Amino acid sequence: MNSEWQGFKKGNWCKKIDVRDFIVRNYTPYTGDSSFLSGPTGRTAELKAKVDDLLVKEAEKGVLDVDTENVASILTFAPGYIDKGKDIIVGLQTDAPLKRAINPFAGKRMSEKACEAYGYKMSDLIKTEFRYRTTHNDGVFRVYTDEMRAARHVGVITGLPDAYARGRIIGDYRRIALYGMDYLIECKKADKKELGKNDMTAENIQLIEDVQKQLEFMEQLKQMAAQYGFDISKPAANAREAVQWLYFGYLGAVKEQNGAANSIGRISTFLDIYIERDIKNGVLTEQGAQELIDDLVLKLRLVRHLRTPEYNDLFAGDPTWVTTSEGGMCEDGRPMVTKNCFRMLQTLYNLGSSAEPNITVLWSQGLPQGFKEFCAKVSIDTDSIQYENDDVMRPGFGDDYAIACCVSAMKEGKQMQFFGARCNLAKVLLMALNGGKDEIYGLQVAPEGKVFDEGVLDYEEVLKAYKKYMKWMAKLYVNTLNIIHYMHDKYAYERLMMSLHDTHVERLMAFGICGLSVLADSLSAIKYAKVKAIKDERGLITDFVTEGEFPKYGNDDDRVDKIAQWIVESFYKELVKTPTYRGAKHTLSILTITSNVVYGKKTGSTPDGRKRGEPFAPGANPMHGRDCEGALASLNSVAKLDYGCCQDGISNTFSITPDTLGEDEQDRVEKLVTMLDGYFAQDAHHLNVNVLHRQKLIDAMNNPALYPNLTIRVSGYAVNFNKLNKNQQMEVINRTFHEKF
Amino acid sequence: MNKTAPTANIHSFESLATLDGKGIRYGIFFVGCPYRCVYCHNPDTWSGEGQRFTVEELAKKVVRYKPYFGKDGGVTISGGEVLVQSAFVAEFEKRMKKEGVGVVLDTSGGVPLTDDVKRALKGAETVILDLKFWDDAGYRQYCKGSISTVLDTLEFCEKNKVPVWIRTVIIPGINDREECIDRYAEVVQGHKCVERYQLLAFHTMGFSKYEKLGIKNPLEGTPALDRSRLEELQAYLDSKKVTVND
Repeated sequence: MNSEWQGFKKGNWCKKIDVRDFIVRNYTPYTGDSSFLSGPTGRTAELKAKVDDLLVKEAEKGVLDVDTENVASILTFAPGYIDKGKDIIVGLQTDAPLKRAINPFAGKRMSEKACEAYGYKMSDLIKTEFRYRTTHNDGVFRVYTDEMRAARHVGVITGLPDAYARGRIIGDYRRIALYGMDYLIECKKADKKELGKNDMTAENIQLIEDVQKQLEFMEQLKQMAAQYGFDISKPAANAREAVQWLYFGYLGAVKEQNGAANSIGRISTFLDIYIERDIKNGVLTEQGAQELIDDLVLKLRLVRHLRTPEYNDLFAGDPTWVTTSEGGMCEDGRPMVTKNCFRMLQTLYNLGSSAEPNITVLWSQGLPQGFKEFCAKVSIDTDSIQYENDDVMRPGFGDDYAIACCVSAMKEGKQMQFFGARCNLAKVLLMALNGGKDEIYGLQVAPEGKVFDEGVLDYEEVLKAYKKYMKWMAKLYVNTLNIIHYMHDKYAYERLMMSLHDTHVERLMAFGICGLSVLADSLSAIKYAKVKAIKDERGLITDFVTEGEFPKYGNDDDRVDKIAQWIVESFYKELVKTPTYRGAKHTLSILTITSNVVYGKKTGSTPDGRKRGEPFAPGANPMHGRDCEGALASLNSVAKLDYGCCQDGISNTFSITPDTLGEDEQDRVEKLVTMLDGYFAQDAHHLNVNVLHRQKLIDAMNNPALYPNLTIRVSGYAVNFNKLNKNQQMEVINRTFHEKF
Repeated sequence: MNKTAPTANIHSFESLATLDGKGIRYGIFFVGCPYRCVYCHNPDTWSGEGQRFTVEELAKKVVRYKPYFGKDGGVTISGGEVLVQSAFVAEFEKRMKKEGVGVVLDTSGGVPLTDDVKRALKGAETVILDLKFWDDAGYRQYCKGSISTVLDTLEFCEKNKVPVWIRTVIIPGINDREECIDRYAEVVQGHKCVERYQLLAFHTMGFSKYEKLGIKNPLEGTPALDRSRLEELQAYLDSKKVTVND
């Protein structure tokens, strides 16, 4: 047994890579309250002040600095520090904090545009070098069909990762701490040897090449750590090394990859084992443990990628989704809450509230009350955490999954995802009415079909047409993603992240829906009220007159909620009919991030009364202002959507004023806990919680300088409110706030 | 048995009511009120025809929220004045008992104690009773009603050991002086059923409803009560120790 493992209970994990086995045998559940926690040390406060200064400068300029000479990779940059003498956990993406790197592997045009947007110019050398290099983006556009280009152009499928890296892949960075790189390299070499015995089919050749690429980057990671003066070839010997080894893995990944979301995984309980051992051995105090986590989180808050303004419209606020996963239950019935889950939440006090890391609580009815109450308190105080239902995820993903991005569960180190953005099912309705033509450009995107007449729409006929176009949409969407991920694997493969996965990894292809509530309410209007279609001078249906009442999604009314359920279930059924690249499993999410504003812009007026260009509701939320029976009715409608066919997540964002939630802090905490229990007991999947006054947001919009750290939860992540553009701020302010008069 | 089930005239629902009783509560607002208080913030519930619901239909809505009730929560019925429809209320409470859901009854006390009203009061886990003014003159001037039914309601709860929370809305220029609090305290003093006495701040958020309904708003121009003043008066009231928990 390795000397670094002294004091750990042995098991299968000693014989092969099995991090879960290590955790389950060695972690110490914590069922108490938050009273043991420590505040920030003087050192932490000092570093934080330094970072805050840099953040102010960054906010003024948009980006603090860009290195235009070097292309991002693991070994491109000299070591960087916030303060070399004071960093406990070391490592930055480039040689200086918040300096961004150019990463043209997924698309060089995107990198050039991003430089220009902030007044920088990509070096001629990089331009020349990449002239001879095919990027992911080049590959995709070589193969895209006319139909795919048209669908992309009109915005019926958007946000596709065809010009930037796909992200949403979580390397199992814990492996580095537990095993050291040498053992991991040895295992990969053995895998490669095994693969060499197979027939050389295209699949097998591809996989062998993948593993070889992984091996090269594993060696580079060791070198990167060596630049900082650490030898990570052996396992971590103590808590500080465990945090540092793990962070090096993550750092290497975000140096190499600029995917939308690079999440860090389920690390708190894993690290707690090392911290507990050190505390027991008398070499670490509680304050020291908190300082370690504070320092790690401070580094995670500095992760940056160079993006274009168009990208920011889709994913506002410069997010990186360094999502962490806290709590959850072990399959043996014990809660997986440890003191370190508390410490992770405590960083929001010690370092102030923040959008990153995207702290995610895996909620279960079985979590200890002390943890539930601390989470609720942190939510009320900081609006910075989100909740996802462990009780619905655990049956499919086990107890060692983590959340990537906002709501995507995956078994850590065993599953990866092909991210698929989302398609606009509300727009598909308008295309169905117009015989496959897009209502904005008048372009024939889908195959020609029946064009509906002016006048009152018949529900059955509309539904029949809708089904036909939904079928078309699903097939086109799967095929488009197949091209994207084929090319991504070919030209921008995540060498380091994938090296921290099993070689025979399970793949998920994550499709998405936007416009769910708009579509559900529109179909409800056609069914229960009288909707007259109106044509414009081009002969396209572009407006509607709706007479009479109709039930609206968000009021716990089965008449319309069943329509929403039907949309999700039938779209999923259509998706699975088309096979995926590399045999990935089809999954589906209802999540928009902040793109609901952009999708709304690209969609004409809809029968529910929404006018052309107006934003959609985010994720699976009911449309703003239409939920009129209060907050819980709205939650109940969303809870009806079946997680079984939406295993990539169902995002719901909930905003409430403090006075509505309860009389005083203790009362608010208790009520929020009861509410979360009630929502998740109905097999709902996700909830963002904001407890704040609408007026505060209006003030912040008008006086941003007074609210430098105002963090709010939007769709599956948190953003600094000041980093949203005016449209997005207005949309957030107009969202339903549950308040009592 | 009636051939057709009796129905109640319902104004609206609030699925997350957190301040009217313990825990998370499902709020049901009934139509109809005998008072016409000048400071009413729900004039839209005074009269008219809302939606009709039978006991079963209401029960079906309520049970959807059972997961949120925890150990303390339940239903709160309010209005308007819920006791205007007391026969229905008593039946509804019986039905809720079967579900194991407690009912908090929020009343102005403006309805005479008929047998149905008594049944309804007894069926509640807690009665929230408005004490709008301390004497009949106040009720006549500001509510177009009398205090006598309010006092009868309080005495009935006292006798039948129904827990009561008293509430008074404090309106700037009308009852926002310490002397007023003294008078309110005198009325409540000595009742063992009173668990809490809460003062609420007058606010202007109901003003738009007057405009919408085309009713003249008698308190137009009255400002909302300052929060700190409310806290002062509440502290003053608390110092008088009028509730059973004091």
